[in-house]
Amino acid sequence: MPKNELIEGLDLDQYKYDFRSVDKPVFRTEPGLTEDVVRAISAHKNEPQWMLEFRLKSYRTYLSKPMPTWGSDLTDLENVLDKIYFYVRPQDKMKNNWEDVPDSIKNTFEKLGIPEAEQKILAGVGAQYESEMVYHSLKKEWDDKGVIFDSIEDGLKNHPELFKKYFATVVPAADNKFAAMNSAVWSGGSFVYVPKGVHLDTPLQAYFRVNQERMGQFERTLIIIDEGAQAHYIEGCTAPVYSTESFHSGVIEIVVARDARFRYTTIQNWSNNMYNLVTQRAVVNENATMEWLDGNLGSKTTMKYPSCYLVGEGAHGSILSIAYAGDGQHQDTGGKVVHAAPNTTSSIISKSISKGTGRASYRGLCKVYEGATSARSNVECDALLINETARSDTYPYIEIEEQSANVGHEATVSKIGEEQLFYLMSRGMSQEEAMALIVRGFIEPIAKQLPLEYAVELNRLIEMEMEGSVG
Amino acid sequence: MAEAVANRTGRARYAGKIEGLARSAAEHLAQGEPDWLAARRLHAWKVFEATPMPTSQLEEWRYTELGERLHLDQLRLPSAEALPDDPASWPEMLRRTMSLDPEASGHLVLVDGWVVHTDINPSLAARGVVLTSLRAAVDEHPELLKEHLATQAVPPEEGKLQALNAALWTDGVFLYVPKGVRLDAPVRVTRWISEAGAAFFTRTLIVAEQTSQVSYVDEVLSEDLSEETLSSTSVEVIARDGAQVQYVAVQWLGRGAFYQSAQRTLAGRDSTLDTLNVSLGASTTRVDLNARLLGPGANSNMLGLYFGDGDQHFDHNTSQDHLAPSARSDLLYKGALDGQSRSVFRGIIRVAKSAQQTDAYQTNRNMILSEGARADSLPKLEIEADDVKCSHGATVGHLDEESLFYLMSRGISRSQAERLVVLGFLGEVLMRLPLGGVADKVTRAVAGKLRTGPHA
Repeated sequence: MPKNELIEGLDLDQYKYDFRSVDKPVFRTEPGLTEDVVRAISAHKNEPQWMLEFRLKSYRTYLSKPMPTWGSDLTDLENVLDKIYFYVRPQDKMKNNWEDVPDSIKNTFEKLGIPEAEQKILAGVGAQYESEMVYHSLKKEWDDKGVIFDSIEDGLKNHPELFKKYFATVVPAADNKFAAMNSAVWSGGSFVYVPKGVHLDTPLQAYFRVNQERMGQFERTLIIIDEGAQAHYIEGCTAPVYSTESFHSGVIEIVVARDARFRYTTIQNWSNNMYNLVTQRAVVNENATMEWLDGNLGSKTTMKYPSCYLVGEGAHGSILSIAYAGDGQHQDTGGKVVHAAPNTTSSIISKSISKGTGRASYRGLCKVYEGATSARSNVECDALLINETARSDTYPYIEIEEQSANVGHEATVSKIGEEQLFYLMSRGMSQEEAMALIVRGFIEPIAKQLPLEYAVELNRLIEMEMEGSVG
Repeated sequence: MAEAVANRTGRARYAGKIEGLARSAAEHLAQGEPDWLAARRLHAWKVFEATPMPTSQLEEWRYTELGERLHLDQLRLPSAEALPDDPASWPEMLRRTMSLDPEASGHLVLVDGWVVHTDINPSLAARGVVLTSLRAAVDEHPELLKEHLATQAVPPEEGKLQALNAALWTDGVFLYVPKGVRLDAPVRVTRWISEAGAAFFTRTLIVAEQTSQVSYVDEVLSEDLSEETLSSTSVEVIARDGAQVQYVAVQWLGRGAFYQSAQRTLAGRDSTLDTLNVSLGASTTRVDLNARLLGPGANSNMLGLYFGDGDQHFDHNTSQDHLAPSARSDLLYKGALDGQSRSVFRGIIRVAKSAQQTDAYQTNRNMILSEGARADSLPKLEIEADDVKCSHGATVGHLDEESLFYLMSRGISRSQAERLVVLGFLGEVLMRLPLGGVADKVTRAVAGKLRTGPHA
């Protein structure tokens, strides 16, 4: 590796997205979650009555559900939530022209490289700042083909029938406590529709940024990929580091119609004061394919298990998950595949790295219902422990009701081999370089699936994180 | 001799009191017992009362709704008079099972919860080996029992049913092997239960001193039982430094039985402590097995085999606790499910921070033979040390058509081919623990089950 790159690496901060803008939101609710907060959000969005009712009902569901006692330690969360701002409106109106976005917000996204990326490689870009999408645009050629890429609010306003047909059908409000919370206070997120047979050859990207302290972000995304269509959606998330906790709880609903193909990529790099509790689920129809590519690098605590419900014959689901847990982080991630139709297939590949006092847990479900004949599923989990204070867990649930199913799960946990290190160091590498190389090799099967920019970014992060890990 | 007396007095104290599972039963059992033991029973009863009945809301009971399968309020302690120590008076099925055993270092027979017979090779007895009823051991080996009975291994605090067992046990097995003594042939224990509607609580305590060696085979059997009947055992196995212990439990109870077994093995430095659980009978089976690797160099092979048909339900809950460095554990549980039967395997490997250089493996494989059968598998890992080799695997599959085709193309009928494939699949477990007679017996029993099933 060229020397100057390594030196550049050394100059970088541990978390390079730790910058913040001083700006004054146009509105925010009082801290904490109350019925008034729910009503205020709905009023600000000028929503139809049914949505307000849906929010209020979800709020009651949220109150009635206990905190999960499994997964990450959430004992402090109730206290945190009392101090969180559930809705912060950064500007009056969403912009479709980059020049119109307020400077403080624009500068933030420019530092993150968003407009540049848009020009180069993306079919469309959405950017969410605090509680609202501040910018959304789609290249004209896709607009002409009938592709919809809007903020979720505009989706509700401009495509009410399509919206209502699918909203909260994939993830009902009562699914879990945080899905109920999101259903009550959702704000921002994308509404995507790709018409029959349209193949988007470059990705759509949504970028989520939390800027303010004690902020809660609750984006809601609804994606419909119609018959035979193909698309790729990427979400990225960052926030500045504060000494208090922030909170992010999204709900992503995806419908993949027959013969369609969709990939959803997440690069989660929240600052390590963030609780990140997300519900992501796709319903996959006949001969359709859904791919989750889930990268969890940041946050204090993440609980996130992208799911594929394979409801049509021949549907295929795939989940590639990579988690990195550094000091103080707990990544409780994995995936779920539910086989509810014959000849459905799925695969989950999970790679995790724990370092320092980090803890990476794989939690997954493979369920085959009776009647899902000849369903096949394969799950592989590999965990790498970098030093003796790190922790790794594997919690796979396998529930098989079908005789003709074929299901396998395998996991390994290991540390970086002394022999591998010795071999590389005998070729003149420093120990840090050797470790970074081994870790990159470990995650390579997933990194190579990423768009190039992200793969480069991931490698750079690994390099930074390996610094000072020796000893 | 002393044992026969102790047992007679134990039964006399207890005879004629047909009782539900209540505090008064624990008090009656405690009458005339040494103070320490009476206190333990009453303490266990308190723990039982303070512990709520597990529900499927608990992770450990997620797939077995205990309240629907076990009705403690309808069970009573056994009332049957114990049989005399005379094989001629024992049920034919019990005698037949025992007659299939090749040589043994000693035998112990329990009928309806009471030890009715023990014998031990005199030369081993002369070297200090003890095989006796737990009741007799209370009087004869109080120090060992005080130290080990329901203390480190299966104390009442382990759970609702463990507490109930510690409060209401009637009798059990005590096996002690002194330092350096090695037994060539296994110790064989055979249990028979006949009284439907009763709850049988027994315990097993095995202490193998340093560098000793012993194999222990425990079979429990019955005919079909017309009412819900509980067979509850707590098993405590202690292998001191360098000891080698094999523990085998074979369950072929009749339908109507709820078989519950809580087992913990404590493996000292450089010891080998292997277990095999074979579950073939009963309506419901729940085995909790916790292997603790307490000393460096300790080694545990943990094997399990289950075969279900009809509406049988099996729940095997295992854990491998690595608490010392450089220990090894390797688990293999395999099962086949026919009819509407259902199995649950839940296993966890826990590696403590201090347990560097751990090797721990866990494999669960299931074969579903019919529509309507179901297999759930939860193989878990919790690793806090970094210099470890841990892996686990789980599969759920079905009869492989290619293997069947291969056999059938050699002129074997489909049903015979199916039997061969299933027996081969399960046989991997038995091959790893080739203990005199056990593999043959189990293979015959599985073949018998296959013959009566729809695949015959």
